[in-house]
Amino acid sequence: MTITVKKVSFERTPADQVYLPAIIGGLITTARHFFQNTLGKGQPNIETIRYGEPGVRTEDYYPDRFRGVHRLMHREDGSVRCVACMCCSTVCPANCITIVAEDRHDAAEKAPESFVIDELKCVVCGLCVEACPCDAIRMDTKVHMHPTEERAQAVLGKIELMRRGEQSVAVQGGVGATYRHDAPAGDPRFDDAASKPRSGGDPV
Amino acid sequence: MFHFLRWLPAPFLAVLLIAVGPLLSGCAGPDPALGASEATQLRFEPVDITFHPDDRDAVNLRIVNSGSESVELRYLGAVGPYGGVLAFEDESVTRLLPGLGTQMTARMSRPKDMRADPFLNEAGAQNGAAGIAFEANGKRFTVPVRFERPTVWSAHVGPGLVKILLLVMAFIMPLATLLTWVERKQSAMMQDRLGPNMAGIRIGGVNLRLWGLLHAAADALKMLFKEDFIPRHAHKVLYTLGPLMAFIPALVVFAIVPFGDALCYGHLGDVLSQADIDQCATGRGGTVLQIANIDVGLLFYFAVASLATYGTTLAGWSSYNKYAILGGLRASAQMISYEVALGMTVVGALLVYGTMEPHALVRAQIDTYWGIVLQPLALVLFFTAAIAETKRAPFDLPEGESEIIGYFVEYSGMRFGLFFLAEFIEIIFASAMVATLFLGGWALPFDILGASGFSSAAAGAGFFSVAGLAIIGLGVGAMRADEQRAGVFGAIVVLIGFLHLVLAVWCGFFPAFATELPHGAVVLIGMVTWGLKVAGLCWFQLLVRWTLPRFRYDQLMSLGWKGLLPLSLANIVFTALVVYLMLPVMEPVLEATR
Repeated sequence: MTITVKKVSFERTPADQVYLPAIIGGLITTARHFFQNTLGKGQPNIETIRYGEPGVRTEDYYPDRFRGVHRLMHREDGSVRCVACMCCSTVCPANCITIVAEDRHDAAEKAPESFVIDELKCVVCGLCVEACPCDAIRMDTKVHMHPTEERAQAVLGKIELMRRGEQSVAVQGGVGATYRHDAPAGDPRFDDAASKPRSGGDPV
Repeated sequence: MFHFLRWLPAPFLAVLLIAVGPLLSGCAGPDPALGASEATQLRFEPVDITFHPDDRDAVNLRIVNSGSESVELRYLGAVGPYGGVLAFEDESVTRLLPGLGTQMTARMSRPKDMRADPFLNEAGAQNGAAGIAFEANGKRFTVPVRFERPTVWSAHVGPGLVKILLLVMAFIMPLATLLTWVERKQSAMMQDRLGPNMAGIRIGGVNLRLWGLLHAAADALKMLFKEDFIPRHAHKVLYTLGPLMAFIPALVVFAIVPFGDALCYGHLGDVLSQADIDQCATGRGGTVLQIANIDVGLLFYFAVASLATYGTTLAGWSSYNKYAILGGLRASAQMISYEVALGMTVVGALLVYGTMEPHALVRAQIDTYWGIVLQPLALVLFFTAAIAETKRAPFDLPEGESEIIGYFVEYSGMRFGLFFLAEFIEIIFASAMVATLFLGGWALPFDILGASGFSSAAAGAGFFSVAGLAIIGLGVGAMRADEQRAGVFGAIVVLIGFLHLVLAVWCGFFPAFATELPHGAVVLIGMVTWGLKVAGLCWFQLLVRWTLPRFRYDQLMSLGWKGLLPLSLANIVFTALVVYLMLPVMEPVLEATR
């Protein structure tokens, strides 16, 4: 590969000093865009996402990791997945989660009697989702917290948060240390690179 | 990229269709007589004469034979109860060939007998109080002479109010409000995005969003409803005075902007000649379409526009904010630097056209060539200096917006709204000044529109076909817009454009339709042309704002002092040389405008 030397001059030519030729070239470019977008065929090329329009769903445009309004996930029997371990309320930097626990007379032992999130205080950091050990709280609704007329309307309780929830992927009692290794081949929950069998067979 | 070029064959087809008319009418024979019927074979310029008490000048009355046969003209004398106050000098021509005319002058002499003086007698000031009678081919024609005693109301206040309503209220304020929306929408269209389109109004069950036009109203309402406060240590009087000093000069300076030739009150349906319009321009029976008739109109502009500098300086100083003071200093230094260049560039136009009165400047451009032909360098310099004077991008470092604190940092709500609106009104004014000085004001290119109508049927057909095609193009573009009910609106616009094309064909088949337009239509076309020029230049200013990067402050000042000022001085010297060398040729033009 030969190396060629190209001399580039940064001197301002007379045409540069007059400014006008470059200005007129720029004006023609923007005017062309203007006329194409206003009168011509440019309109389909405008990529503005028209949030707020009736037919536009934010769910289609937001990335997967978008953090929106919280939702509480369910168990198979429809009750709340949360075991009131207080991990999320402890880690929350804005202290917006308030949980009161109650006795759940089965293997899960505890459930939240009331689970209140003050969405006005929430800083949408997602630490509660990371802290939860049982996939009980998620922020993947892809819906913003909408503005409300009263402050009280933005304080969401358990029923409201469960309304958007669905069955969680957690399993009561856990799935064990070798869960990735033992999972069925077609299980979509473990369909990532960490689940592929490694040489040596060491699950960790 | 140039998809719109596929529409290119359409105009040619339309022009072919339109050309059929004139071709056919050309085969039909000579044009019918101007002024139509046989009873009005003679055309009088002006149609009637109006005198004021202090008039001592003579009025030139031209009698033109507009028929197709020659006319035996006999002057019968003055008639009417006050005919005795008129004195005539005529050329005593008795035979007028078709198309020729003769001229006589009528002068008023106040009689010593006070009973015969129309101005001391209530009944004198009415139409037909006197008349000049002629006999031609057995028929009698009379040119009515009116005596008017103008009051302050009828001569100054009344017409002034009407013109202020027409120009300021009906054109400038709506255009300034629209410009706030156009700025956002145009910048979006230039940047391949959508711009504001969500503010809507619900009428019945229908939510009308109208391309986001209501955002302009929403902005205005937002500013009105914001909290109005004065910073604790700010100087209360100066703080309130700042926005006013910026806003008031911007509106006052519109007094010298001519938006039409002249309007004759009583003859809106008649076909008038240039002599009529000149008479109405002096205030007899009409009014000139310019709010104030100042002989040194351009000096008025510079004087009042300089007052706007006070507004920015006061705003910066009275805010009790270091950065606002610095912003005010930047703004005032920039404004006074570019005012010098602004004044110098206009001197070139003054040399060429010989007058500073804006209305006479436009008439001089109609009589010779437009300013863009005779003074192209001055146009570029003036436009640049005007944009810099209004602190509009790329010269908007004083207000900065994204990088530096400007002089109105402490202002909010409607106080800021006044600065904001003043800036848009100044945009309109800069466009109006460029249109007046360099683009021929209200006149159509190649002078196709005169006082009595288009210069020929082909000119009228050409005008209507160009207008129709442009409107159809806009309508087709509107139909494509991605808004609700855009199709309906676009279809209406296309229909209006099609009506224009129909008018163009009509001009071809009935030439008199184009060459003899009623005065109201001529004034309307003139005002619409002026409005379109101003709007087009505003669009161009917005294009410049959203294309060019901002000047750094030292670059800005060096451009003003080391770039524009020497160039404008060179323009003056060169223009003066050319005018001096061509003086024998230009003498008639300078005489006419004096």
